[in-house]
Amino acid sequence: MSSAIETVREVTGGEYKWGFTTPVEEETAPPGLNEDIIRMISKKKGEPDWLTAWRLEAYRRWQAMEEPKWAKVHYPPIDFQAISYFAAPKQKERPKSLDDIDPEIRRTYEKLGIPIREQEILAGVAVDYVFDSVSVATTFKQKLEELGIIFCSISEAVRDHPELVRKYLGTVVPPGDNFYAALNSAVFTDGSFVYVPKGVRCPMELSTYFRINAAGTGQFERTLIIADEGSYVSYLEGCTAPMRDENQLHAAVVELIALDEAEIKYSTVQNWYPGDKDGKGGIYNFVTKRGLCKGRRSKISWTQVETGSAITWKYPSCILQGEESVGEFYSVAVTNNHQQADTGTKMVHIGKRTRSRIVSKGIAAGRSNNTYRGLVKIMRGAEGARNYTQCDSLLIGDRCGAHTVPYIEVRNRSAVAEHEATTSKISDDQLFYCRSRGISEEDAVALIVNGFCREVMDELPMEFAVEARKLLGISLEGSVG
Amino acid sequence: MARARTVLPDPSYEELFTRARNRLPGSQLPELAELRRQAWRRVCEIGLPTSRVEEWKYTSILGRVQKALPLLEATAPPLEQLKAAFAGGVEARRLIFVNGRLVPELSHTGGLPDGMAITSLERLAARQPERLAALTRPAEEEGSAFAWLNAAFWTSGAVVELAAGVRPQAPLQLLFFQDAREQAGMTHPRLVVRLGPGARLHLIESHLGEGEAGQWVNLVGAVELGEGAELVHEVMQAPPQSATLLARSRIQLAAGARLVRNIASLGGGLVRNETEVHLCGSGAEALLNGLYMPMEREHVDQFVRVHHEQPGCHSDQFFKGIVGGKARAVFAGRIMVYRDAQKTNAYQANNNLLLSDEAEVDTKPELEIFADDVKCSHGATVGALDPSALFYLRARGLPQAVAESLLTYAFAGEVLERVVDPHLRGQMARRVLDRVPGGGALEAEGLV
Repeated sequence: MSSAIETVREVTGGEYKWGFTTPVEEETAPPGLNEDIIRMISKKKGEPDWLTAWRLEAYRRWQAMEEPKWAKVHYPPIDFQAISYFAAPKQKERPKSLDDIDPEIRRTYEKLGIPIREQEILAGVAVDYVFDSVSVATTFKQKLEELGIIFCSISEAVRDHPELVRKYLGTVVPPGDNFYAALNSAVFTDGSFVYVPKGVRCPMELSTYFRINAAGTGQFERTLIIADEGSYVSYLEGCTAPMRDENQLHAAVVELIALDEAEIKYSTVQNWYPGDKDGKGGIYNFVTKRGLCKGRRSKISWTQVETGSAITWKYPSCILQGEESVGEFYSVAVTNNHQQADTGTKMVHIGKRTRSRIVSKGIAAGRSNNTYRGLVKIMRGAEGARNYTQCDSLLIGDRCGAHTVPYIEVRNRSAVAEHEATTSKISDDQLFYCRSRGISEEDAVALIVNGFCREVMDELPMEFAVEARKLLGISLEGSVG
Repeated sequence: MARARTVLPDPSYEELFTRARNRLPGSQLPELAELRRQAWRRVCEIGLPTSRVEEWKYTSILGRVQKALPLLEATAPPLEQLKAAFAGGVEARRLIFVNGRLVPELSHTGGLPDGMAITSLERLAARQPERLAALTRPAEEEGSAFAWLNAAFWTSGAVVELAAGVRPQAPLQLLFFQDAREQAGMTHPRLVVRLGPGARLHLIESHLGEGEAGQWVNLVGAVELGEGAELVHEVMQAPPQSATLLARSRIQLAAGARLVRNIASLGGGLVRNETEVHLCGSGAEALLNGLYMPMEREHVDQFVRVHHEQPGCHSDQFFKGIVGGKARAVFAGRIMVYRDAQKTNAYQANNNLLLSDEAEVDTKPELEIFADDVKCSHGATVGALDPSALFYLRARGLPQAVAESLLTYAFAGEVLERVVDPHLRGQMARRVLDRVPGGGALEAEGLV
């Protein structure tokens, strides 16, 4: 798969191609955060009282919390009162059809290489577009509805399916879980909601495209995916942002719930603006993602390709509660220039014979720091639990750092946990071998890096691989911005 | 409000310090008295760690050390027990400490080669007091409250110095015996080892004790190896279950120096080994092997930091744990490769065997790498015995229980076979067999 090569080329040499802004009329809240702002957000979205109260409770908890400092990332203190917590493209009313979407927004997505219409027809992917904090369009809704699948923005879900939202929201990532989750719970503005009913296999990939557009704002989206008994869904997430000198905050929460024998596959290509060569600007990506394998024989699989963001702080996790449930985490994290990534996963084995597999590939170049931080926890009752972890790091250049911080906690004698990690550079022997066969140095590096990442890239769904390549490839030169 | 990560030591320490400081060795020296006061202030500044301190996440020590215990005098130790712990052969030199005080009449340091000096800190206090401050001062950046506590309260310690090229044949054994038969107490011994360029030493360190009154040992070691020097340092820790043993070593290696450190933790209510190796010259090599076997309610914590500061160094960590009963074993190893340390070759392995459903293993093998031309890897496993290996033995007629015992013993054997001194290896094997479930049957069957 060539996208791996292109990813690396892109981050090690290329410029950020998605750094344009779109002159859409935006409706933004004044900077700052207090209970009135939260009430305003809630009111603007026409939310029921219970949700407003839920937000305010989260806000009160957040005020009592401290920013996490344990990650291996450094940044100046964030002034949470300088951020605007709501930015929405101004529109009179909800678009009736895709044609009603503000042409500027449509053009933005076209620049990104995802023409809303074309994509849906060609790739057969149902997409929810989140522009700044608000979902602007969801395609293929009708077709999904026939199967009983609900795929809409979370605001719509609150309105149309309050019983589902109320039942599951905050059950996997409770509002007081951590500093950024609490902040998100207080101010989240939109995001995607998916419900797949019993026994339904979602026939297409569901996808959300996130874009931060407005200046001085943060993006706080919330995604909730519920796979009912015996169902299957594959969900894709992509993100970009304009180039700005300031640092923008992205603090999302993603909750996945898989009931008996259900399977959720969640793939991310994260390409937020990473800042310029000197480390100026870029997105702070502080995200809480967690899946609950609630039912027996359920499965949650996370795949992520992390290339963007000035700072990534992200640990997609699985709580393996149901017996024989399975958790997977496949990750490629590429950092360059002054980027810092502290990412990994948590696998908490509660149920009997639960299994987890972690494959993490970190590539550090320039002056960046790339950390894998993970936890494998096998509880007393997790008889016969099994974990395999492999994390490899590749260093390109001598000014970068690659770190591995795994925690393994085992409390059951019949469980087996294995962890392996290596750190290396592209060996001269490998390079020489390729070069002696007439492959240029650049291509040889790409080839080797490709091989290094392959295990993870193979996990990306086909449709997404195309988009990933589109997003990351050098062929994009001149076609955007 | 966030809860505090460290807590102030109990006032009993302050009282003890005020009461005892004029009787501690070297108290007549203003410089040393000032150093002890300064060390005490640092203890208060840093505070004793709760489990909210990342380095102490899995080990709560406060309950055991929060209150000061008296600094005991030496008592008459049970000689048979001491003798059983003698290692290094008939030629070996030996320093014996009882309750942290050197007992010269039991020790044997005669007939040393030229250029080798073995002395104790208390003897130095009488003869060369001017050297004491330099020998007991922790590094300025020292962040461990326990290291400073040791600097404030030490009553004894060994100083071993070898001049360039001195290579004594006979090993040197340091034997620490804690007598907790009648009274609880604490000791803060200090070990200083300096090897000149090309020198070589085989050092054996044994910790044992008797009694259930409770003993806390806070040992601090400072080891410096000159260019091309070689140290084999073998440690057996087998104190009684009432004991708390905290052993912190800082080992510095110059170019081409070589360290082999074999450490077996086979007893003690709470044992924590902090090993910090600094590879400060190119071509230095450190091989660290460890075996720990906490049973019942014991707790062992292996805390290892290997700093690759210069290019072309090699380090290898090999730690194995067997955990039974309600015991808990912790391994926290970190390899740090500095920006200039190209061509580093570092490996770290931690394998654990859980024997009971109430035991727990927490392992945290870390890599922190800032140079690109390096080979660093680690592996960690936690699990039960290999079913196919068990099947193999059963197919050859061994009962299930015996097969399990044999495989468990063999698991430990991988570390034991790296122990250089045969006497010490024998003592360790004895201790391991006592701890392996069904170990006695293995001997009776003649299988080991």
